[in-house]
Amino acid sequence: MAQRPIKFRLLELFSDEKEHWNNEIVTQVQKEYNMNSNFGRDSINFDILELASGGMLKSVESKVDEDGVYKKGFLLHKYVITDFGKVRASDACLEYV
Amino acid sequence: MDIRELKKLENKRKMNKGYMWALFCAILWGIWYIPGTIIWALPPFDAMWINIADPTGAGTYENGTAATLVVAVLISAFNALTVILALLLWNGVLGKFGEMSRTLKEFHPCSKWFFLASIFGGPMAILGSFIAIGFIGAGFAAVAALLYPVIGSILARQWYGEQISKRAWAGIFVIIIGGLTIFVGGAIAEISAGSINYIGYVGGLMAALGWGIEGAIAGKGLDIAEPDVGITIRFLGENLIWWIILVPAVALAGYPIFEYAIQAFNPLSILVLGFAGITFGYCYVSWYKSFPLIGVGRGQGIGNLYGLCAVIFMYLFLAQVPAWTVLVGGALCVLGSFVMISEETGEAESLRGE
Repeated sequence: MAQRPIKFRLLELFSDEKEHWNNEIVTQVQKEYNMNSNFGRDSINFDILELASGGMLKSVESKVDEDGVYKKGFLLHKYVITDFGKVRASDACLEYV
Repeated sequence: MDIRELKKLENKRKMNKGYMWALFCAILWGIWYIPGTIIWALPPFDAMWINIADPTGAGTYENGTAATLVVAVLISAFNALTVILALLLWNGVLGKFGEMSRTLKEFHPCSKWFFLASIFGGPMAILGSFIAIGFIGAGFAAVAALLYPVIGSILARQWYGEQISKRAWAGIFVIIIGGLTIFVGGAIAEISAGSINYIGYVGGLMAALGWGIEGAIAGKGLDIAEPDVGITIRFLGENLIWWIILVPAVALAGYPIFEYAIQAFNPLSILVLGFAGITFGYCYVSWYKSFPLIGVGRGQGIGNLYGLCAVIFMYLFLAQVPAWTVLVGGALCVLGSFVMISEETGEAESLRGE
């Protein structure tokens, strides 16, 4: 799957309209794009942050990362795609249904 | 600390990061006016101007306007070339060539926005800025473009509903007054002195319009592209415009631009052009990185502090003191920028109306 820009892939993963924790999505994309370093992890998470900042994803639940599944002590967010996100996903030829 | 407080803190941290990038942009952009000014006085650009302006050698400089425009084109083209080298180095260090290739291939949904941004940012804004430097001076060129966040904010709102608060609009209004002081004040002073470098003012206006439109278009592309990659594609587009279209077009018009382009490969020019490429390239990286975090309006508002930085750097390094109208107008523009960015952002997670 690692043939499209990372933000495209992120929107595609959220296009199922289900809620996803950022750390789970980051782990999946790290594997797909072979970006297993900490820099790769943070870079993918930052892309998610930018998508949320741009109004394409919204956080519906948050919790503190007590177990260190992403980064100990940091906030984890559960995101869902917004209507605007669906439009941009559709623009990006994601064949959103 | 409860979750609500932590979220607020995280949001603030994100906004601060965006403001920090925009501030880096302002400082680097301000420094860029130093090489942007010095390059005109270096070989072969100095000789190029004299040879085109005064072809008979009689000292009448009858082609002065054409000479300034042709030199501005060649300097802009070299500026684009050194910027793309700096950006490729940046992406190489970050390991983003793969992402660049993936993004470049997605022309229709994504990279077309950056190519479009390169038209407004390159031949319009950067050339306009060099025209303003060439005809009037770097201090004027730097301050004239301060109007650009007004254009950028309005377009970002019209095109994709970026939220602009009443306070931000108040800042925009102050910037407009500042811009009018620069343009009208300077023009009146020149008319009363018996001469007006109207092309320089057109250059200033080109810079303000070009950078404002570029930011709003780039904001659209940055929805679905990484900023480091987006800015590199934007400069790839600008290099194609200069080196494939405009520089050959100037050569076809009969100007010896290619001969001078080859002569530009001398150590001193390479050094100054390299300095221009590094400052401008990384200022642009910072500009693009700020947009997804704080929005085009705020990113451009803070980036606008480059006018103040430029006037300071020009004074410190080149002892250039701008006219009082430029200082007053520039101060108003900076004040407007502060009004724009001092608003309370609260807990808003998104910059768009949702």
